[in-house]
This record gives sequence, C-alpha cells and structure tokens, in this order.
Amino acid sequence: MKYKSQAVAKLYFIAAIGLFLGQILFGLIMGLQYVVGDFLFPAIPFNVARMVHTNLLIVWLLFGFMGASYYLIPEESETELFSPKLAVITFWVFLAAGALTILGYLLVPYASLAKWTGNDLLNTMGREFLEQPLPTKVGIVAVALSWLFNITMTMLKGRKTAISLVLSLGMLGLAGFFLFSFYDPVNLVKDKYYWWWVVHLWVEGVWELILGAMLAFVLIKVTGVDREVVEKWLYVIITMTLVTGIIGTGHHYYWIGAPAYWQWWGSIFSALEPIPFFMMTVFAFNMVNKRRREHPNKAAVLWALGTSVMAFLGAGLWGFLHTLAPINYYAHGTQLTAAHGHLAFFGAYALVVLTMISYAMPILRGRAANPERAQIMEMWSFWLMTVSMFFITLFLTGAGIVQIWLQRISSTPMSFMAVQDQLSIFYWAREGAGVVFLIGLLLYISSFFVKGESHAFE
Amino acid sequence: MNKAKPQSNLFSTVIWLILIALTVATFSIGEVGLSGKSTMLTLLAIAMIKSQMVANYLMALRQTRLLWRGIMFGYFVIVGGLIAIAYLMGQA
Amino acid sequence: MDAQSVKIGSADIAVTARADFQKNHQKDLPGDFALWIFIFAEMLVFGVLFVAYAFTRANNVALFNESQLTLSRTSGAINTLVLITSSYFVVRGVDAIKRGLSSQCAHWLTGALLLGGVFISIKIVEFHAKFAAGITMSSNAFYMFYLSLTFFHLMHVLMGMVILASIIVKARRGGYSAQNHTGVETGASFWHMVDFLWIILFPLIYIIR
Repeated sequence: MKYKSQAVAKLYFIAAIGLFLGQILFGLIMGLQYVVGDFLFPAIPFNVARMVHTNLLIVWLLFGFMGASYYLIPEESETELFSPKLAVITFWVFLAAGALTILGYLLVPYASLAKWTGNDLLNTMGREFLEQPLPTKVGIVAVALSWLFNITMTMLKGRKTAISLVLSLGMLGLAGFFLFSFYDPVNLVKDKYYWWWVVHLWVEGVWELILGAMLAFVLIKVTGVDREVVEKWLYVIITMTLVTGIIGTGHHYYWIGAPAYWQWWGSIFSALEPIPFFMMTVFAFNMVNKRRREHPNKAAVLWALGTSVMAFLGAGLWGFLHTLAPINYYAHGTQLTAAHGHLAFFGAYALVVLTMISYAMPILRGRAANPERAQIMEMWSFWLMTVSMFFITLFLTGAGIVQIWLQRISSTPMSFMAVQDQLSIFYWAREGAGVVFLIGLLLYISSFFVKGESHAFE
Repeated sequence: MNKAKPQSNLFSTVIWLILIALTVATFSIGEVGLSGKSTMLTLLAIAMIKSQMVANYLMALRQTRLLWRGIMFGYFVIVGGLIAIAYLMGQA
Repeated sequence: MDAQSVKIGSADIAVTARADFQKNHQKDLPGDFALWIFIFAEMLVFGVLFVAYAFTRANNVALFNESQLTLSRTSGAINTLVLITSSYFVVRGVDAIKRGLSSQCAHWLTGALLLGGVFISIKIVEFHAKFAAGITMSSNAFYMFYLSLTFFHLMHVLMGMVILASIIVKARRGGYSAQNHTGVETGASFWHMVDFLWIILFPLIYIIR
C-alpha cells in the first residue's frame, strides 16, 4: 500500500463481501420459493425476499465501488485521500442505513414502513429496485455526495489521470441519475419513463465508466503495460458505451406508452451495446498478452480476464438476445430477462468488484499477493461461481423460451401461473446451480483465512 | 514522399472537383425528378463511388494495408448492395 | 563481459531499427488506431440505420416518395458541397503539417471548421422549417428516419468540430511538427468519415426514389 489512507478501502471491501453473502442467501430462499411457494411463509414472503435480494446486490456493489475508488484514487492521484475520516464516517452511516433498511423490509409490513418513513410527504416507494424508504434514499444521496466530494478533492490536489477522470465521471453520473428516484409522477408512463433513467442509465451507462476505470487500473498494475495504451482504449470504450448505452435506453420504451420511434432508436442503438463490451474483452486479453511483468497475484489476473469475458456474455450477448423490438414484443418481462439480469450483474459488476478486491486486499493486508494455496482456493471459487452462474443463466434462458412459447406464441396460450407450473424443472435446476454458487462464495471467503508464506513486495 | 508533395495537392484538388461535379449531377437528377430502377442504381452507384473516393484519396487509405482498404470497400459494397435490394423489393 | 554487453546493445539497436522500419512501411491507418476502432463502430451504426431506412421504405413506398418531396433538396445539396469542400481543406491542412507548416495547417483547418458552422446553420434553418410545419419524429416512418438520421449525423458534425477546434489550438501553439502529427491525422480521419456518411445519406434520404 503506497498511501496510508488507502486503508479505508478495507472496511468497504469487508462489508461488500458480507452483504454479497446475504444477497446469495436470499437468492436461494427466493429460488426455492419459485417451486415451494409457501417456504418460509409468512415470515419471509417472496416479494420481501426479492426486494432484499436485489437491494443487497445494489448496496454491496456500491460498497465495492466506493472501496475501490478509495483505494484507487490516492494511488492514481499520487497523494493521500483528502479526508480518510470522512470516508470512515460515510462507511458507518451507509452500513447503518443499509442494515436498518433491510431490517425494515424484513420486520415491518411494507405499507407500514412507507407510512412511518414519510412516504406521504414525497411519494417515492413501491417501485422495483427503488423500494427504499425516503430517509434511506436521502441517505444514499448524502453518502454518494460525500464520496464524490472526497474523491474530487483528492484528485484536485494530485495527479489527474484518465482513469481517475473516468471513474469520477461515472460517480458523478451515479449520484446525478439517482436523483430521478425522487421523481414519481402519477402518470404510469412517465413514472416508468424516468424510472429507467435511474435503472438503465446506471447499469448500462455510468456504472460502465466505473467498471472500465477499475478494470483499466487493475490491468495497468498486473501487466505493467504503458498507461498511454490503456488510457486510449479506455476512452474509446467509454465513448462507445455512452453513445450506445444512452440512446439504448429506448429498448425499455417499446411497450410502455412512449413514442413509437423508440422502437427504432432502441433497437439499433442497444443492438450495438455489445460492441464496447467486446472491445473490453479484446482490450483485457491484449494487455495480458503484452504484459511486461509477471505479477505474483495470479488470481487477480484471472478475475480481470473473467470480468471482461462474462461481462460480454452477460451484458452483451444475453442483452442482444431480446433487445430488438420485434423479438422483445414476445420476450419482455419473461425469465429471459431474469437470465440476462443474472449474468450481466455478475459478469460486469460483481466480478469487477471481486477483481479489485482480489488485487487490493492482499496489498491492504501488507503483502503483494496471497499465499499460493489461498490463490488456488480463490481461483477455484472463481470457476465455481462463474460456471454455476452461467448454468443459472442457461436454465433461466430455457425457462424463458418455454415461457414465451406457452404463454405468448402458442395458438392456445396458457395463463401465467399455469406456465410457471410447467417451468418447475428449470427452477429446480437453477436452485441446484445456486447452491454450487454459494459453495463457491464460501470457498472465496475462506481463502482470506488461509495462512502460509505470502509474496512479499518486490 | 517529399517529392510527391506538390503533386499531392494537385491530385487532391482534382478529386475535390470530381466530387463537386458528382454532387451537382446527383442534385440535377433529383431536380429533374427522374425515378425508376436505373436512376436509383445510378444515384446509389455515384454515392458509393464518391464515398470510396473520400476514403481512398482524402482519408489516404489507398496507402494502407489491404485489410483496411478491404473493410472500407466491403462496407460500401454491403451497405450499397442491401439498399439496392431493398429498393428493388419496393419497386416490384 | 564488456564486449558482450556492447554486442547485446548493438543487437538491441538493430532490433529497434528494424521495428522502426517496419512501422514506417507497414502503412497503418492514418492517425490513432483506437479512434479507428471508433470510426468502424460508427460506420456500423450508420450502415444499420441506412439499411433499416431502405427496408422500411420497401414496405411504404408511396408514403416515403410523397414525404421525400417535402424535403429541401437544395439545402441538402449545398450541405454536401460544404462538407466535401471542408474535407478538402482538411486534406490541405494535413499536407501542410507534413511539411512542418503549423500556421498554414491551422488556417486550412479553421476554414474546415467554419464550413462545419455553415453546415450546422443550414441544417438548423432546414429543421426549423420542418418543425414549423408541425413535422415531428412521430409524424410518419419517413420523417422519423429523416429526423433521426440527419440529427444523429449533425451530432457527429458537432463532435468533429470540437475535435478540429482542439487541433487548431494545439497547432497554433506549435504542438505538431512534420515528424509528429498523429493528432492532426486522427482528427482528419474522423472528419472525412463524417463527410462520406453524409455523401451516402444525402442521396438516400433526399433524392433516390
């Protein structure tokens, strides 16, 4: 660790992994509820489990992004963090707010939670992914601003690099677009229209800048390739990302009551969204092939390459599958969407955070890389999680195709619940793959506790 | 390279004038209001030739590896070809 | 020991010299390779849009032919001439910097930049007339494509102008030379792309029927 203040990242990383475990546990509960409808009812109904599963995902990724930037920015700026104390306070505020919100979901009926937290004052709750009570939403904005402030001040007093610029742009966008979560018009079309400005423009827009910056940072570190080369790629990738991703928002506007031209704009631009992901894959493998050093942290290299491939498959390919308007006419809102969601979030965002943790955590713990045995465990956990997630995606894709057929294309269409009954074999298989994923995650966590001779700094 | 310099300006000037002439031709065909299969194919061919000229001579791709020239040429052939097919379908 | 290191040193020099030779004679794309990836991607976007226009027209020939007549062919043609001429200016600018003439290069590029301004002005007048006539992207399929394609292209003209402006500023400061002018070539390549995309777009949308 080059700068003392980078140490705050450790807190964030530990919290991220803890919440990740929580997310997976709730995922397994929900996965079982798909086939055993009354499992854990009425203690944890399906809708609550789903809310906790998705909200925990967002929160642990945010913890990961924040931790990563508190680690990365001082090193890029070649100066100590503007205020490590602020970063620590922000951490505890965010963790407490997150924990209270999750407890609120689990212990209080959602309607009462809304009443107690002032949803009457400003109606923002009750929308998928944006279920958080008003105080939590305000808290998220405060945390994001504190994060942005700390990072920007650090950058201003130090070296400015393309990586830190792209990262801070991504953070600015993240904070900015979240403000649309406070806008909840009565008109359902408008409601959905702007809802996507948070949801889509996060994951298919500004988050990709954060992803690109984090991946570029780790690649520079583990390969020793010239910064100029990496930066050039980064700029081209993020430009393509923004051109295709921003207009690509249109692929959510096909059937919600927005103007018809979105069917063209959305189809064409979102069909091109895989291009920047493909460029990212080419970029990552190119850098590793041209490496000028053998970094002792082999696991980090694997995570980085894995990110670039799985992001392309999950976000690029699985997104493309159902993005064209004529196909989406049949496919929207089916298990195919769930398949895409799983592999995209895992491949692009979960993996990039794990890449960063894998690279930075050993250094934060005072060594260049973990002991050989710990790294081998980590690599096993990579393969277990990646392969099982890929199978989850395949099973859900199968379920989605059958669902589309039985429910929407067949000349004697079946009702939603009758179709769900037909899909149970896919759901059981998905639950099995989910258990393997959990084993992979537990192996990953235990790799942190392996003792042995670790690689010292060169 | 150095010796070719003064000549290269003359060359690009000639290309520029040809492009102007072809644009005027395209515009005139539009003003006269010609239509039909052969007019459509002529106009499309002029557009693709002009684009290829810009790529080859103004962008100076003519001096690069076959791969890059091939990508450009292939692009014009494929895009122009698909447009032509669509128009022929429309007229049938 | 000494002799050996000298030998290794000269071998290194030989390798570098050979690499330099190959670099100069491989004739790679003019300008930065990363930007070329971007150019190819942009060509793909426009290509898909052009082909989508053509096939949509195939199903609505009468509608497209009728609506097309309301476009101002004159302003389209003038804009074509403007862009072609600006491209020519850019070629002259690149030629100037290859001979080390920084200020001449800046002059030519400024000319191209001004022509970009002319293009935008004409486009704004054209759009204004269409909006005044109550035409929007929702009017019909033809106008949807017309407005989308021309507007998207206009954004590229704007981006090209920003690139040209930054090159002009750097050229004025003497930031380029006969040996080092990749930046100029990069900007030039982008501008030529904007030009040839319009060269296809103009007859396709305004004239061919």
